Order: sequence, then structure tokens, then C-alpha cells
Amino acid sequence: MSFYSPVRTNAAEVAKSDRLHLFKYVEDPQQANIDTFVAHGGYVAWRKALTSMKPDEVREEVKNAGLRGRGGAGFPTGIKWGFIPQASTKPRYLVCNADESEPGTCKDRVIMERDPHAMLEGMAVASFAIGCHLMFVYIRGEFGHCIDVVNRAVEEGYAQGYFGKNIFDTGYDLDVIVHSGGGAYICGEETALLNSLEGHKGMSRIRPPFPAVEGLYACPTIVNNVESLASVPHIINRGSDWYKSLGTEKSCGSKIFSLSGHVKQPGNYEVELGYNLKDFIYSPEYGGGILGDKKLKGVIPGGSSTPFLKPEDIDVGLDYESLTTVGSMLGSGAVIVFHEDTCIVWTIMKLIHFYRHESCGKCTPCREGTGWLERMITAIEHGRGRPGDVEKIESVCENIMGRTICPLGDAAVMPIQSAIKNWRDEWQYHIDHGKCQVKTNTEFV
Amino acid sequence: MADAVENKKNIAEGVPTVTLTIDGRETTVPKGTTVLMAARGLGIHIPTFCWHPKLKPMGSCRMCYVEIEKMPKLQVSCALEAMDGMVVLTDSDLVKRGRRAIIEFILMNHPLDCPTCDKGGECDLQDQTFAHGVDDSRFDFQKYRFTEGTEGSTFDDLRIGPEIVLNRNRCILCYKCVRANKEAFGEYDLGAYERGNIMEIHRAPGRQVDNPFSGNLVEICPVGALTNTDWRYKIRVWLTQTTSSICPFSSSGVNTLLYKDDHQQKIFRTTSRPNDDIDDGWLADVTRYGYQIATSPDRLQTPLIKKDGQQVPATWKEALEIINKRLNEIKDKKGRVCIGGIVSPSLDNATLHSFSKLIRVTLGSNNIDYRTQYRMLPKEPENVYDAMSARSFKISDIDDSDVIVAFGSDLVKEHPNEYLRIRKACNFHSASVYSVNPYRVKSADVARREMIYKVGTEEVFLNGLCLAAIEAGMAEGGDLKEKISPSTAAEAAAICGVDAEHLKELAAAMANGRKVTFIAGELVSRSRERLCISSALANLTRLLGLENKGQVSILPHYANSFGAGKLGLLPQPPEGIRNALTELWGAWPEAEPLTTDGMLINMKKEEVNGCIALGCNPVMLYPDREFARESLEKLDFLLVADLYETETTGLADVVLPLASWAEYDGRYINLEGRVQRANRALKPRFESKPGYEIVEAIAEQIGDKLYESSDQCEQEISRLVESSNVQPLPDKYFDVRPAEEESDEEYPIALFVGDDPHHSGHLTEKANSLFNFCGEAYIEMSSELAKKLDLKEGDSARVESKVGKIIVPVRISTTINNDVVFIPRNFSSTTVTALLMRKKRTDRVKISKVVN
Repeated sequence: MSFYSPVRTNAAEVAKSDRLHLFKYVEDPQQANIDTFVAHGGYVAWRKALTSMKPDEVREEVKNAGLRGRGGAGFPTGIKWGFIPQASTKPRYLVCNADESEPGTCKDRVIMERDPHAMLEGMAVASFAIGCHLMFVYIRGEFGHCIDVVNRAVEEGYAQGYFGKNIFDTGYDLDVIVHSGGGAYICGEETALLNSLEGHKGMSRIRPPFPAVEGLYACPTIVNNVESLASVPHIINRGSDWYKSLGTEKSCGSKIFSLSGHVKQPGNYEVELGYNLKDFIYSPEYGGGILGDKKLKGVIPGGSSTPFLKPEDIDVGLDYESLTTVGSMLGSGAVIVFHEDTCIVWTIMKLIHFYRHESCGKCTPCREGTGWLERMITAIEHGRGRPGDVEKIESVCENIMGRTICPLGDAAVMPIQSAIKNWRDEWQYHIDHGKCQVKTNTEFV
Repeated sequence: MADAVENKKNIAEGVPTVTLTIDGRETTVPKGTTVLMAARGLGIHIPTFCWHPKLKPMGSCRMCYVEIEKMPKLQVSCALEAMDGMVVLTDSDLVKRGRRAIIEFILMNHPLDCPTCDKGGECDLQDQTFAHGVDDSRFDFQKYRFTEGTEGSTFDDLRIGPEIVLNRNRCILCYKCVRANKEAFGEYDLGAYERGNIMEIHRAPGRQVDNPFSGNLVEICPVGALTNTDWRYKIRVWLTQTTSSICPFSSSGVNTLLYKDDHQQKIFRTTSRPNDDIDDGWLADVTRYGYQIATSPDRLQTPLIKKDGQQVPATWKEALEIINKRLNEIKDKKGRVCIGGIVSPSLDNATLHSFSKLIRVTLGSNNIDYRTQYRMLPKEPENVYDAMSARSFKISDIDDSDVIVAFGSDLVKEHPNEYLRIRKACNFHSASVYSVNPYRVKSADVARREMIYKVGTEEVFLNGLCLAAIEAGMAEGGDLKEKISPSTAAEAAAICGVDAEHLKELAAAMANGRKVTFIAGELVSRSRERLCISSALANLTRLLGLENKGQVSILPHYANSFGAGKLGLLPQPPEGIRNALTELWGAWPEAEPLTTDGMLINMKKEEVNGCIALGCNPVMLYPDREFARESLEKLDFLLVADLYETETTGLADVVLPLASWAEYDGRYINLEGRVQRANRALKPRFESKPGYEIVEAIAEQIGDKLYESSDQCEQEISRLVESSNVQPLPDKYFDVRPAEEESDEEYPIALFVGDDPHHSGHLTEKANSLFNFCGEAYIEMSSELAKKLDLKEGDSARVESKVGKIIVPVRISTTINNDVVFIPRNFSSTTVTALLMRKKRTDRVKISKVVN
């Protein structure tokens, strides 16, 4: 029995562990069926929350558990739920952000494909916590298979009475709408996602008002990542104290990391936050070392939008705080590894091409800046660089950083800034010699 | 500190405020004000591209950066709400660097083709590059160039509408045009396509940018990406002079600025002169391009006199002598009363007032009327109607009304400016808008509820509202219930063909509304039953106390309709005005007063033998063409003054060339009663003369000079304008018994005749640009009706009524969805008024396909 997207996971380890939980049944081909899911203890948290808890108790529990958003920003989920203006009489909406498109990240896809009910259960609990009766799943359009699986799961959920009218005879109604994205990276940004969901062009909105106050159809809306929501039922089932005991003091719980690049065993691995990055790359359970036993050149620890780490910095915990101290970010948890034969200019060229292509075009610095950066970096890579180009790139990056409406501008320039900081000599070599210092580019996976 | 105290004084009491410091100066502003506006209040200019005072902030150009203490990043001031204790720096080094970077980014792909760009000299990007940019570019790649669809054009220009040319290379993507189109005008013919740095502004696929507000898009474009054809390549802006003027085509008195060249004696364009009390800086296209009627070479050049059945050019002296002679002949033959005077309500106060004096004092007649397009004007004065159409009304009061009712009015066609106000109230203050019409109209797109009543049941609908309010206990009806029929709201709803619940909903909204604006339009004022409808409206107003918490008005239609009413250009003006005029002139003619209708009837009976028509075209616009033509043909003497040769001038014995509003200083009274001035931009073209000069010349020729100086006339006018106040509504309910609506098996389809959205009155077809938008009449109908009649878009349809028939092309309506049709009346090539009968309430026609 194989999966639609065969990805290596550490499900076996998770099954044995008392602490890891998200990937417990992820290798079970039947897990996407509601009966198997329920047999594995599914929808217990939903029943518990709805029948024996009050919404603010659920909110309090998640807040105490210290769950932080897994989409990239790391904002505490429980606190976000509390931002909904309680006096507002408008309908409230929950939107599950399943527009996973950060390069290197593929954790949400595995959850949706193999354990969709985990996400749906989390959404249901979250909806109850914020008083929402209509929740949306905004799935990346390219994830055709995920959309099929989630749609089927939603149907099953309706058929068995987990969604719909008068759930568990409590009088609570909850409907689910599955929406397929139109294919834009920016729609992973919550306000652009809401625009897209409303049928507008995927362009981020200016904040404030924040979505929690004025989101979808100008109503209070909470947007949460798939993984954040999938963690919620576990918190409800096992209590916030248990969840808090996982991970580090400030980064609680466990997280799925997508390991890719020049490693022997790329895959999705659930580990507790704070796990050592170096161990993660080299441990035989996870990365298993660098491909071809070459030397490590650098690591992007949190998806392509986060700054590079040099080999000397990777002895660091995979959690929000530790990565900040070494100048990077946890982001969406996509660890991308580069070995010594990688040309950093080529890598950055590929990245900036992506960001230029995905810039929505709303605000000037990102729209024009990414285009300019792409052309300068491509020129350098192709041997047409000129003295002073690196400084010019740095200056343009500075003019984009922190000046845009949404974080896409920042995301585009952070890896560039760190690549120049860490490997300036390599850039200079490109400009001086019109060619690359390292041997080959083709092994980029 | 002084600033803060000073500003605080201007803020209404009870409004929560915040105090912040901008560039070291403290200021207090109402809560919710943006930092940008707070700075402007202090006179600190923050540069912007994408910000527009009447649109919601978008924050996309990033030009308006400010630095705020304790915030690590630069903030965009256009979208940032001012908070208590904020310390804002608008000119720090960081801010300057940020702005410089933005200018650099924007100029990266901007072609810098200023020498060939029409925006040069008034371009925001030019100005701000000089002020905030650097003189060198670090961008050393080829600029991106949009060429798709521009084959054959030198500068990659692309025509996207009848009057708009787009150059995507110059566009800096501020999105103001797209946002204004969508937010302010509710139009979707322009959009932003693609994404990132190849994003382009473009018309919607398969569409033209031809909405009735499209000219504004050009005006608000900060660069030369959108230009309009009337201005392109004609002149440089620094070679022009400007003249403040107002729009002569609508009753709002929209403020405009005419760009002209004194040497060439030519106007090149009209732009807005933003006046937040009236227009918010938006112009309808008819206002923007209408100036072309003044500059067209087809204008009447000299007076014409009829010799042997032919009109031949003559001098003013000849013409005036003939006028004198012929008027004397009539006087000698019949006495003075057999002269009539009809006048256009688009003319200025001085013309109207001196015309009134000419007719009443010099010629001793009471036959004077400015209502040339209304049917069946009764002999006795229509007090209720006059009162209801001259209520105190403020355009800016629409903004904060929470309930707005548009009744019997296709607002986009009749009152575009008020439509934009209603949209604004809806966008910014979530007003509940109700649109009540006999067919679906475009302006109902913002309506919470649109109600379609059966053709010709206006008064039943209003009665139904009264009844619904009484039945629901929302108001004390007194004896109203006995005075109106039908007797229940449900019955009224059934007659009107609307849902009784909706009727109740509207009544409740009006009864409970905090501030209600009720606008009635041309379908009321042009109806034969206007008296009955206005009585019903007066009842409703009194019942719900609407005037205590808002405003109700039947809006006048023409630039100076309100003024004409105030100056007493009616056969029987209201008592107060009549007394004031008698006092001023020392006499009031004894003769029997005749309305336009009465005059036309008596002309036909040859009891009125002479007529002076000033600036109006009754043959084309009177709602019974044959009747008007036959009547005027019977005249012994017809004098017409107009800008162009029209169907009416064709019947005249003497035709005088009239100067357009741009050629003399004139004052006009808008629908609020606000007196506004349109200044002289050009010398009168050819031999034309302003209306008041023509009137004075005629009077002088007759030997009875009206005024020693123009000041004397102005003084009389100001006394009249000051003296006549809003008439109070009588403290009683009126009887409103709706007549049975006649129907006709043979002619089943109701016909509505009105203005095209791009035209107004009988002259605008002479404006090239407006002609390009729409140059011929059409019949607008629903797709269902077209299907029933086997007609397609563009087919020729034969439209027949009992009295006439015309052939017009079919246009499938995007709004109308019931069995009514609309034909514009602005085109002399189509004699649509030939289908109308003055005695009918509803015009009915039958339509068939013309088979070639």
C-alpha cells in the first residue's frame, strides 16, 4: 500500500512515544477513513469540547498550552482566538490556511492527505472556541489529491454527524466549506487568502483592521494553519499541562519539520520543539547526514523565507527563540540543507525568481524590488555582474525590508541578505571571474 | 500646543479625540483620523500617489511613509490611525531615504517620456521626483515595455474606451482608477490583470471603458497612463489658463474648472474643482466633455431671418428691427396678451429674470414658463408640487443619512452626482438604500432592497407606505386613512405589484431611521399625475415626520430649474414671489396666465400669435412632438434663440445666436438653493450674445429699456432670492385618490423616455466626445423581452404608438428586466417624442422587428 505522495516520516517512533502525537497514525493507509480515525480515538476531543466545555474554557486551555502558530509567524494560537471582539454580533468565521506553498515545506500536505480528520477535528474545536458556525478550508489549488481527500472526509464527517446541524444533540451547528486556491504563494498570507476566498484577487490587505476584527466578508475571522489546528484536539484530550511539558519553556509542543535538500533521508519528521538542528540533520533516524558525505555548506531552518545558517551555527535548538538568537527563524519548519558544492548565487537566483514571480504587485517595493533583484542576481550568476553590484543588492534589500504591506517582501530579501553576509567572497568571485567557485549546481534536490 | 487647542475648537462636542505630535507640533483630531489627515490639518504635506481623499486607503504606493517613535519600521500614514501620544516624524532621514527608495522603484520601469507625455507639467510623479527623488538611476537594465495590443502605435498607446487612451508603460500601479471605478462609481469595466511587476491596468475582457464617470479615471491618474482624447497632444498644460465654472447640465451645480487658451479662444478640457459640499471632486462625463458644445464650429454664427420661406443670415440690427416690427403688428392686431415666452431652465439668473420682465412688463403678458418638457400642466398653480420640488435639501446631508430612498428616478441618468453621494453613504457609513422604480436601474446596485412597482402606480405606492406605517403602529394617521385609497397596505401592494412585506420594511426603515433622505426624480416630475404623486409624498412626509429628521425633495432637473422657480418664471408664481415681483416692477399684467401647455393649445387655436423661445427646443423635447410642431407652425411670429440650429429654430421667423454658459458671467441656483457663479472663459463665439443681452436688445428696440445697468438686474435678483423661502407644507393631509391606470391591448409595452447617461438635453449630441460615447438613439430592453420579440442586440426595431412610429436599433439592457423599454431623447436624428401623447400618463408602444 503506497501513498499518493510517498514521504518518509517518523511515524513508527511517534507511535511508541508518549510525547509525540501528530504523526502517530500517519503511516496507516486507512487513517483517512473516518471509522479508522474514530477507532484511533478521533473526534473525542470534539465531543468533549462540545458537550462538556465552554468556549472560553477551550480558549483558555489552548492558551495555557502555549500552542504557537505553525504557519510561520509563531503567534500564540489561544491569544489570537481571544482577539475576536466579543461584543460583535456579526457572524464569525474560521479559516484553515491549507495553502501550503513555502518552498521546502510539505508538512500540511501529509496531514491533509493521510489524516484529514485530525485537521477537521481541530477546526471544529477551534470553531466552537470562537463561536463560529461556518468554517472554511482554503487548500492550495495544486494539491488536487488533498482536496479530494479532504472533501471526502468532510462528507464522512457530515454523514456521521460530526458536522452539520445539531451536533451531538447540543444544538450547535457547524458547516464546512472546502475551497481550492487559484495558485498563488501570496494566498498563504492570511489577508490575501481572505481576499482570494471572497473571490477577489489574491492581494494582501492593509492592517489594521486585523482579520480577527474584520476578516472574511468584513466579519471577525480566525485564520489558522493546518498543523496548529491538528494539534488542538491533543491539547483538549490530554490537557494543557501535558502539552506545555513538551518542547522548551517558551516553544511548547512538538512540530513537524520538513527536511529537504542535500541530506540522505529527506522527509517529514515530528520532533519536540527545541530538538538540536545538528542532530536532526545527522541523526540516522532523521536526516542521516549529508548526501555523498560531503561537507555542509549551509542550512535554511524554516522555509525559503528565513535566513541561512552557517555550519558553525547549526548546533542550536529547533525552536522559536533559539533560532532567533543565531539570526534565523523557525518559520514553517522546512529545513533545507545545502552541501559544499552548492553555488550560493545560483541558489539565491532560484529563490528570487520564485519571489519575483509570486509578488502580488500591490505595493511598490516588493513589486519593483523583486524584479530588480532578480535581474541583478541573474546577471551575476550568468557572469555579467559588475563591481558594486553586491552593494547595490544589499541597498535594494534594505529598501524592501520592513517596507511592504505583507511579509512577502521581507521573505524575499532575508535569504539574500544572509547569503551575502555569510558568503560575500563567493558573490565577489562571481563578479570578478564571471563564473562559479564551486563545482556543480545540478545536485540541488 | 496652540495648534492642538485651535484644532480642538473645530471638533464637534462629544466626538472622541486623540492628541498626537507631528514634527514637534501637537494636534488634536477626532478618533479615527489617519496620521496623513492629521498632518494635513497642520499644513504638513506628506507626498502620496495611491491615496485619494474620497477612496478607502490602500497603502500600496508606500510614498506616504512616516517614522513613528517606538515603531521600528516606517509606517504608511495614509492608512495608519492616529493614536493618543503618537510622536510622528514626517521628514526624518529615515523617511527621506524611504521616499527616495520608492521614487527609485517607481521610476525603474517608468519610460520617462515626459516630452511626449500629456501629463507633463501637472504630473504627480514629476513633482515628487523633483521633491523627493534622486537625479540618477541605479537601474541599468532595459525597462519593461508593454506592447501587447498596441501594434501600430508610436508610444505603446492603447485605446480602452471611446475617450480614454491607456499607456501601461507609464502606469505606476497606484490602482486609483480601478478603485474609484469600483468603489465610487460601481463600475467594473477596468481592472488590474496579471501580478507582480508585469501587472497591468486594462479594460475588462470584451469591454470598453465607457461608463458615465469614466473621465474621472483620467483626472485622478497621477501620471500619464490614462489620458483622454480631447486633451491629448492639443496643448501643454502650462500654456492654458483656467476659469472656474459650473456644470450647466445638471441641477447639482457641480463645480468645474475650464482649461482654455485665450489666444486661440478655445476650451481644451474640463476638470473638477472639488467642492465637498456638492461634488466631492467627481464629474459625470456629460459635465466633463459638455464644454465641447461651446467650441463646436457648427454653432449658429449670425442671426437668421426668414425671407420667402428661407432662413437667411442677417445682421443683429436687421433682426431686431424685424422683431420689433412683427411684435408691434401682433400687438396692433390682437393686443398684448397673445405673446408667449418659453425659456430653458439651464440659463442663468440674469437672463431668466430679464426675460421675465420683458414678457411681463414690456409685452404685458403672463404667458411665461420654463417647463417645456412636462405634459398636461394644469391651469391652476400646482402648489403642493411646487412646494415638494423646492424643499430645503443639502447634497452633503446624504452622506450621513442612514436611510436613503430613491423614488421614481434613474439616478445615473438624472442626478449622477447624487448617485455618487449615495454610494459614498453606503460605502463609508453603511446607509440603507432603497430604490423604488418602475424598472430596474443601475443606481440600485447599492440598494438594500430594490422595489419595482407597476408602471403608473407611484401614488398608490406612496399611499401604501403611509398605510403600512399606520397599520404597523409606526405613526398616528389621523384622518389620513379616509383621504386615501386603497384602504390597506396589502391592497396597495397588490396594485403596485410589490411584496407587502417589502412595503412594510421600507415604511419601518423610514419611520425608524435616524436621518432619512428621500429623493424623487423625473418619473414624478414629468408624470401627468405629478400633483397627485406630490400630494401623496407630502402626506408621507407629514405622517413620518421626515422633514424633522432628514430631507424630502422632488429634485429639479436642470442647472437653474430651482432658480427659475425662485425667480417666478411660472405663469402663476407662488404668492410671495408674485408680490415681490409686483413690488419691484410696480405692475403685474392683467392677462390670463398660460402654461407651456396652455400656450401651445392657444397657438393651435391661433389665440396666441407670437412666441419667444429662449434656449429651448420644444419640438424635440415636448412630450408630444406633432402637437408642439403644429402649434408652433400656426404662429404669426416665432423668435428662437439657441446655440445651434434645431428643429425649433427651423420653424422660426427670426433665429438669434445665443452665447453658451462659458461665454459670459452667469449665476445659477442649484437644487440646494445655492447661488453659484460660472465665469466667462471665452468671448461669445461668432456673433452670439448672452441671453440677457438679447433680451435687453429686444426691449430696447421696442423702446422700453429694462435696466439702466446690469447691477440693477442683479439687485432685483438678489432681493427675490433672499425673500422667497422654503414654503411650509400645509398642516393637513391631502386627498389622494389614484386614477385607474388605462391599459391598451394593442400597445402593450410601456415606454420611458429620458436622458442617455452620457447626455443631457438637446445640445450635448453636438459635443464630439459625448457623441463618441453614444451618437444615436437606441431602444433599451430586457433580454427576455427581446427574445419574445425575436430581437437581438443591434437589430432594428420598429416602435409604434397610436400617434407615431420610429425605427431604432435594439440595445439589450444590463438592468431592465421587465416589459418596459427606454429610448433616449437627446438625439435629433430620432424623433422619439413623436411616439408620445401629451394626455396619456403612460406611453405605450408596440415593437416589431424590421426585416430587411
